Amino acid sequence: MAKISPVIGRYVTIEVDDLEYRVFWLENGEGPPLVCHHTAATHNHQWRHLLEDEDFTSRHHIIAYDMARHGKSDPPQNAEWWKEDYRLTADHFVNFVTAFCDALELDQPTFIGSSFSGCVALHLALRCPERFGVIIALQAAEYAPGWWLDWWRHPHTNAAQVCSSGVWDMMAPMSPDNERWLPMWYHMQDAEVLKGGLHFYSMDHDLRGRLNEIDTGKCPLVMMTGSYDFLTPPAVTKATADQVAGCDYVEMEQLGHFPMSENYPLFKPYLNKALELIANKRA
Amino acid sequence: MTEAETAVKAEAWAEKFRQATESDPVIQCYAKYYTCDFLLDMEDLRVGVQIRDGQMHKIEINSAPLEPHHFSLHAPAETWRKMSEKRPKPFFHGFWAASVREDLRIEGDITVLMQNLRNFTA
Repeated sequence: MAKISPVIGRYVTIEVDDLEYRVFWLENGEGPPLVCHHTAATHNHQWRHLLEDEDFTSRHHIIAYDMARHGKSDPPQNAEWWKEDYRLTADHFVNFVTAFCDALELDQPTFIGSSFSGCVALHLALRCPERFGVIIALQAAEYAPGWWLDWWRHPHTNAAQVCSSGVWDMMAPMSPDNERWLPMWYHMQDAEVLKGGLHFYSMDHDLRGRLNEIDTGKCPLVMMTGSYDFLTPPAVTKATADQVAGCDYVEMEQLGHFPMSENYPLFKPYLNKALELIANKRA
Repeated sequence: MTEAETAVKAEAWAEKFRQATESDPVIQCYAKYYTCDFLLDMEDLRVGVQIRDGQMHKIEINSAPLEPHHFSLHAPAETWRKMSEKRPKPFFHGFWAASVREDLRIEGDITVLMQNLRNFTA
């Protein structure tokens, strides 16, 4: 008998800053919405395990979408995007996330983002905390300079292999090979968009001096980072979290930059811990 | 350890490195065009490696100072030891991690490194 997953995929058309996007998402589960965002130059398959984990889908409506220009979400439909050098900004990123949540009429969703979407999670916490019930920022920092590089799209190299091989060391060596090669594969698939996404990550994203403005009384914030993540090491995330009153910080042992994808069994208890921390605070 | 013992150990390591490269299925499935020359500077030892289409063309222990290569990796011996542990500690688990967060330096023609990155990383 065929193994058919309960996860389904759908599209919604949204408008963000006068750009029209057809956004693809995967969903499964019942309960309060948990919106999941992937890392730069990958797609919602990073959340493939969470989407099929009954421990979570029995109590959450898991929604994992593809950011525009990633996976099955195309570039804007009403712009000649091929004539532009794509550079994601904080404003556009925040507007995209909120427009998507509005389009699906999600009420106070939990937002969980990782890497560049972990960083935008901090912007969401700062700019529109009332829109979200909980924000979980994985592999995030107040400032992450130095990664907007031509190597991600250099005509003299195989950009797909550069983008993917560059992330190998971001993962923990004890994560299983078959799981580590999938983030590599996803980066090979979406390599063309990496530099544009890292424009936000390394050039436009800078919350130094503003973290004290984040009000965790309006929306709880948890920050978590894998101990093997050289891009955003635990010390950097902790230094960010320490500047946000009421923010919880968790170091994820034996995990790297793609915890939900490279070793889900190790990541799962940390996700539970983040949700428990919030629940305990509310109680 | 005497100089002679060090030399024997280094030659044995070089042979292991050659075999590992030529038998690694990840490298060999994309071996064509994996061609570059690099230097591994391990403080006590300098190893010059020449690879041609995924096969070890030459590996030289204590490579001469002006021996040409495309790119090089430099780190103290202790860093290389930490990187070769079975379960390396964070940031000693790969050359990118060690170059960004520890004391490994990458020098030379980075374009050639990037062109061969997939197999060099493997």
